[in-house]
Amino acid sequence: MHDSTLKLTLRYLVSILIVGIFVFPIAWWGLTSVKPISAVFDKDRIVVFDFEPTLENYRVTVLGYSKRGSKEDGKTLMGTSGNNSYDGRSSIVSSVIVAVGSTLITTIVALLASYGLSRMRFWGSQGYLNWILSQRFLPPVAIIVPLVFIFHDMGLRDTHAGLIIAHTLINIPIAVLLLKSFMDDIPIDIDQAAMIDGATRFQCFWMVILPMVKGGLAATAVLCFVFSWTEFLLSLFLTSSIRTIPVKITTYVTSTGSEWGYISALGTSAILPSFIFILLVQRHLVRGLTMGAIKD
Amino acid sequence: MRDRDSRAGNKLIRLPRWLTSEHPFPWLFPASAMLIVFGLYPVLYSLWLSMFKRNPATRIETFRPSWNWSKVFADDRVIDAVSVTLTYTFIALTIQLVLGLGIALLLDSDRKGFGLLRSLMILPLVVPPAVTGMMFLLMYDGSFGVISHMLYGLGLLSPSTPILAGGTSALWGVIIADVWQWTPFMVLIMLAGLRALPKDPFEAAAIDGATDMQAFFRLTLPMMSKIIALAVLIRGIDLFRIYDYIKVMTDSGPGTATETLTAYAGTIYFKNADFPYASTVALFTLILVVIIANLFIKIFKVRF
Repeated sequence: MHDSTLKLTLRYLVSILIVGIFVFPIAWWGLTSVKPISAVFDKDRIVVFDFEPTLENYRVTVLGYSKRGSKEDGKTLMGTSGNNSYDGRSSIVSSVIVAVGSTLITTIVALLASYGLSRMRFWGSQGYLNWILSQRFLPPVAIIVPLVFIFHDMGLRDTHAGLIIAHTLINIPIAVLLLKSFMDDIPIDIDQAAMIDGATRFQCFWMVILPMVKGGLAATAVLCFVFSWTEFLLSLFLTSSIRTIPVKITTYVTSTGSEWGYISALGTSAILPSFIFILLVQRHLVRGLTMGAIKD
Repeated sequence: MRDRDSRAGNKLIRLPRWLTSEHPFPWLFPASAMLIVFGLYPVLYSLWLSMFKRNPATRIETFRPSWNWSKVFADDRVIDAVSVTLTYTFIALTIQLVLGLGIALLLDSDRKGFGLLRSLMILPLVVPPAVTGMMFLLMYDGSFGVISHMLYGLGLLSPSTPILAGGTSALWGVIIADVWQWTPFMVLIMLAGLRALPKDPFEAAAIDGATDMQAFFRLTLPMMSKIIALAVLIRGIDLFRIYDYIKVMTDSGPGTATETLTAYAGTIYFKNADFPYASTVALFTLILVVIIANLFIKIFKVRF
């Protein structure tokens, strides 16, 4: 409050420097994505910026043009592009389907469960909460082997539906606890008033509580989306031809070398949507990351 | 309106009470079903799998309940992996906590510009960990990586030993990627904690002539202890199950210098296809997480 000018200037400088260090890798990554290949691998020009910026890497990975610049038949590319192709379109589509699908299912299932947990007292409710919390701490690797077998038997292996289920599974604990914390903020008198007026539990949830947790619901949905969008391990084990972006990117590293231009272009495209979403719900981010334990 | 009719008792089909919205059952059923079928059942299945001995030559699995479990405790790679995992978790957690608290104190200001800086701090959190791994691979590259280049300039590294080629430096290389991605998590939580602190004690301390240092150690830290414990618990568990960075950046190498428990389980799965033993190592990881997390919760009285 009563800092001297010198102290304040110093604080600004140190803050900018530190935040700069944290932004640097992403800035570097973005820069690499617009460098021509020759500039990426030139070890004498690492920190010299005399190159013609190019969108070639984005044309290949996001728009699906072939390396030479001519557009290939989109249909065959979408359906049959192997893991070594640099066309990232099918992985973008897969990532969107899986992230949106799992976000939808997670929020619906979690809304119901969180209402029950927030508004009803029943035998074992604390134990039930602990069980849900413990699911959040389950290492995915502990269930991956049987999950592969179960998915194989159910025909879910290497399908969008399977991956949606897997991501829903890891998101449910977070979503339930988070939504419960938002519902706990609403006084229970409101439910009672609605029910005195003749509303059933479900009407009370649908018409009274749901509109009141809209903000919290948006924050929960964004976090579920981001967790699904960035998830790697389950996607790696449970799919082989369907590739989400994080898995797809790792296939650009081959024994003959890494295509850094393409990797960084697809990577930058993957970061943008989640950053925009996260900024929209920044207010509730801390509560989300601590599953409702810290209110903001 | 059907439910309202059933209340009045003039409805043709009356649902049993546990199927109406007045009972917790329908509310909790979808989430429970999901968690039981795809969460609990696989763990039990894992336990069942771990009781089979796989013959690598014939690929025949025979029921030998204690085979894999005695193997886990005698396996040097498991012991190595436990030590790598604990080292990784401890170092990364300490750095993230100290940096997180420091940066939070620095950015906790209502002055112009700090809001923007706080928003920019979130940026690393939305990068997919696999992409983070790739970013650092690019920057660590021995010939054209920008971090390697800077370290050569400072004389801290020689071009003959790239960062990810040496055992110790490879572990540090992965830790730095983790620190970059997750320090912002700590910053956000610590900022929330700082914002929630009451103002009065600090004003009283200032009147009594306490220095900033004294106020930090005597007031801020003790009042933040619950939040710090919670952040350490969440982050610690995530660090203990680290997989993405290791898989992408070093694939447990060089040798097994960066092989964590989850990475080892993945290796057994992918390379040896010994599913029973992979399950056993994975379950062993789970048991360690549960024991350590519960001890922590008991000692520091963490509450959700």
